[in-house]
Amino acid sequence: MPDSQGRRIALGCEGSANKLGIGIIAHDASGAAHVLSNVRHTFVSPPGTGFLPKDTAHHHRSFFVRVAKQALRDAGVSPSALDCICFTRGPGMGGPLTSVAVGARTLSLLWGKPLVGVNHCVGHIEMGRAITGASNPVVLYVSGGNTQVIAYAEQRYRIFGETLDIAVGNCLDRFARTLEISNDPAPGYNIEQLAKQGGRVLLDLPYAVKGMDCSFSGILGRADELAAVMRSGGKGPDGEDFTPADLCFTLQETIFAMLVEITERAMAHVGSNQVLIVGGVGCNERLQDMMGKMAAERGGSVYATDERFCIDNGIMIAHAGLLAYETGFETALEESTCTQRFRTDEVFVKWRN
Amino acid sequence: MATDNSSPEEFPCSLTLNIPFPDARLASVALRALKVDKELSALVQRDLSTATAAGSEEETILHVKYRATTNRMLRVAVNSFMESVALVLEVMEELDVDVLEAGETSA
Repeated sequence: MPDSQGRRIALGCEGSANKLGIGIIAHDASGAAHVLSNVRHTFVSPPGTGFLPKDTAHHHRSFFVRVAKQALRDAGVSPSALDCICFTRGPGMGGPLTSVAVGARTLSLLWGKPLVGVNHCVGHIEMGRAITGASNPVVLYVSGGNTQVIAYAEQRYRIFGETLDIAVGNCLDRFARTLEISNDPAPGYNIEQLAKQGGRVLLDLPYAVKGMDCSFSGILGRADELAAVMRSGGKGPDGEDFTPADLCFTLQETIFAMLVEITERAMAHVGSNQVLIVGGVGCNERLQDMMGKMAAERGGSVYATDERFCIDNGIMIAHAGLLAYETGFETALEESTCTQRFRTDEVFVKWRN
Repeated sequence: MATDNSSPEEFPCSLTLNIPFPDARLASVALRALKVDKELSALVQRDLSTATAAGSEEETILHVKYRATTNRMLRVAVNSFMESVALVLEVMEELDVDVLEAGETSA
């Protein structure tokens, strides 16, 4: 029920990867979204390792109550003020997703509020639209788990292009392991900083755009080989030694150019000149810069959010969930299971026309 | 998900848990939150229900029956279930409506 000010309020829970996020959003009577709280705790694994499902699920269970309490406190709302409890149904890692769903179900039952299952990708897209105000951009969704180029048409977020194998963020995260770069605060962030010290030389990596799609696993394999060459004292293409910074620089330049190409192809296809970048890799300033140059050449612009919203968070789940709830959508308790595979275009985007 | 037709020969390893809750409402919340997810392995079966405690008419006990093909599968499944129960309990202890209201008035 809208409150006395005509606001609807939702709590959202996210845990599809190593970030546990819980946030509370309000939609006012005019439909504008207001972030009341956005709390996140990240499970960081040691350098040279990645986060495994069982440990990640354990982390989310351990921190769920703490993060939920902080979200309620920051927002200054009590459960009775909420319209619904939103949670990530998928896609993502099974154990972590389910651990958060169990928490969300318990809240739903204790507080007597309906559940809304949300598609993680749609959460990113809707939050990006709300924060940046971009009206109908081509969306580049890039994270550790997903790489998709998306455009909205007739009540679906349609996938125009995507990775054929691993996500671009996964390529970065795994290469960070090869170089034993710290995962704190995130491996991609540390690669970005290291890459800024490169630029002297562009090493030789394959470039793998295939029509509207792209591929990263071969590039990762080659980057790993180059790292081994570097460690054994081998020389670069100019006969000089090369460094981890050179490798990071080369990797970024290559994979980001690929992303710019497939995004531009989609923009040409749909006749758009706006790009919205969402997902954790969207925090990368070099990617934003390259995408911005391409968009400007087409007379358009790039939209991106800061780390509060582009990195996985609970507020995007609350926002997308509340949008769905306002059209009459709810998830029955018996159907509140999670799924590792959940295509972005499976969601009926009833709240847009 | 009742599976009373499973034969003990196929699932020889079993474990029964009776988890007490302060009242029937909480036992029911735990049951409904936990029974949604199916067991991941076909080698494990689980039944969940609420039951009355001795000398009471209230269904305050969460009754859990696990059956598995091997002791290892049983251990893995039950340990995982217990972690979920721990989360449900912690949410009840810290985030139930009355707990939060008490926190507000004392703040």
